[in-house]
Amino acid sequence: MANWIPLWLHRLSSPPTFYRFAGALRPWAMALAVLCGIIGLYGGLVLAPADYQQGDAYRIIFIHVPSAWMSMFIYAVMGVSAFIALVWRIKLAEVVAMESAPIGAAFTFITLVTGSLWGKPMWGTWWTWDARLTSELVLLFLYLGVIGLYHAFEDRRQGARAAAFLAIIGIINVPIVHFSVNWWNTLHQGSTVNIFGHSKISWDMLWPLLAMTLATKFYYAASLFRRAQTDLLDLESGKDWVRKIAESEADR
Amino acid sequence: MSPRLAGACIAVLRRDLVLAWRRRSDIAMPVLYALIVTMLFPFALGPEDSLLQRIAGGVILVTILLAMLLALDAMFASDIEDGSLEQLMLAPQPLALMLGMKILAHWLTTALPLIVIAPLLAAMLHLPAAVIPVLLLALLLVTPLISLFGGVLVALTAGTRRSGMLLALMLLPLCVPALIFAAGAVAAAQQGLPWLAPISWLAAVLVLAVVLAPLACAAALRIALDC
Repeated sequence: MANWIPLWLHRLSSPPTFYRFAGALRPWAMALAVLCGIIGLYGGLVLAPADYQQGDAYRIIFIHVPSAWMSMFIYAVMGVSAFIALVWRIKLAEVVAMESAPIGAAFTFITLVTGSLWGKPMWGTWWTWDARLTSELVLLFLYLGVIGLYHAFEDRRQGARAAAFLAIIGIINVPIVHFSVNWWNTLHQGSTVNIFGHSKISWDMLWPLLAMTLATKFYYAASLFRRAQTDLLDLESGKDWVRKIAESEADR
Repeated sequence: MSPRLAGACIAVLRRDLVLAWRRRSDIAMPVLYALIVTMLFPFALGPEDSLLQRIAGGVILVTILLAMLLALDAMFASDIEDGSLEQLMLAPQPLALMLGMKILAHWLTTALPLIVIAPLLAAMLHLPAAVIPVLLLALLLVTPLISLFGGVLVALTAGTRRSGMLLALMLLPLCVPALIFAAGAVAAAQQGLPWLAPISWLAAVLVLAVVLAPLACAAALRIALDC
């Protein structure tokens, strides 16, 4: 039986094991993020042909679309780990949920900024109260609410649990962001890239987009690993394994 | 519901209403706030009838939302200070039901006076009299929603000290859909269009929230007070 998977997951959720695991994987994730980022940006900004209608301005999608996907993906990760944190009270799940929030907020912010930069030449306006734009803005406020609530408590674990609860309430917004272009017929275009069907985008433009998507995913992993490591050291300060790391750092 | 449980519900409701009545000036504050804010709009935008008429519905909804937000902080504050909330949590009665009663009492003392003066606010902004029943209906559905959402979030911030601004940051994004539907109903009525669809949506969400929000409120309170 594949008994080792739950066993391995159980062991991984212990802070010292995860600390070492994250430390070992982080350089690889970061290297892959940089590699995919360079390939994707080169493919997107240099190799991909200009759009017949939008010219070179469309190239912002190579930043905008992967960031938008990440803003929802990270919220989903945060919601799931918040659920795990509340139900099974696993310390690592709290750390993952709370350290995902600032990264997700950053991606949401990038999405909004790049979107409005693109909207100025294409739609003739920086901002419009379109369903997709508004729900993405609400997503940013939800991230900020989670971060704010987390830091409002003096006890960090209590703050993490309260903020995890808020994250679970707010997860209702993720499908609204995703389906907003189908439910309301407003200015933002529908989705062009389709995982399970035929994408309405040329392969020359699609592959740099996918490379950038991979780059953002790997960047998220690397950033999350680093943040979780720091957070775990802080949470577990005074424990034996942290003291050993501190001593080995002092010896260097 | 067994008679003992009903008795407990009525006791909690009565206690909160009596406490609110003893501090009557606190009830008047959100009402005064709403009146003054509504008064500011004609000064800021100019007393032009057609302009005021067009923005009246939205202004009244937002003003009442903000007035309720001001009063929300106090929902559990005094109960946490004197420890009666902990007693409520230890009581054998289901906490969700008791908190539901507290939210109801809060709605009766803050939202109901605001709804009562809403026709006056509408008259100040020259909203046509035919639209006022729709506005009142929308308010009757939106204000309990805000109280219920607010109750959950106030419970979440119960353990913190500086919760005022944080509460606004968390509550206002969650209220956006409710506000859109309520304002949509008022705008449709103003243009002579059918307004029943957004009102039905609000009613559906309210039914869901009445069932789920007290449960979420109880869970949030147990998390925030760590017991």
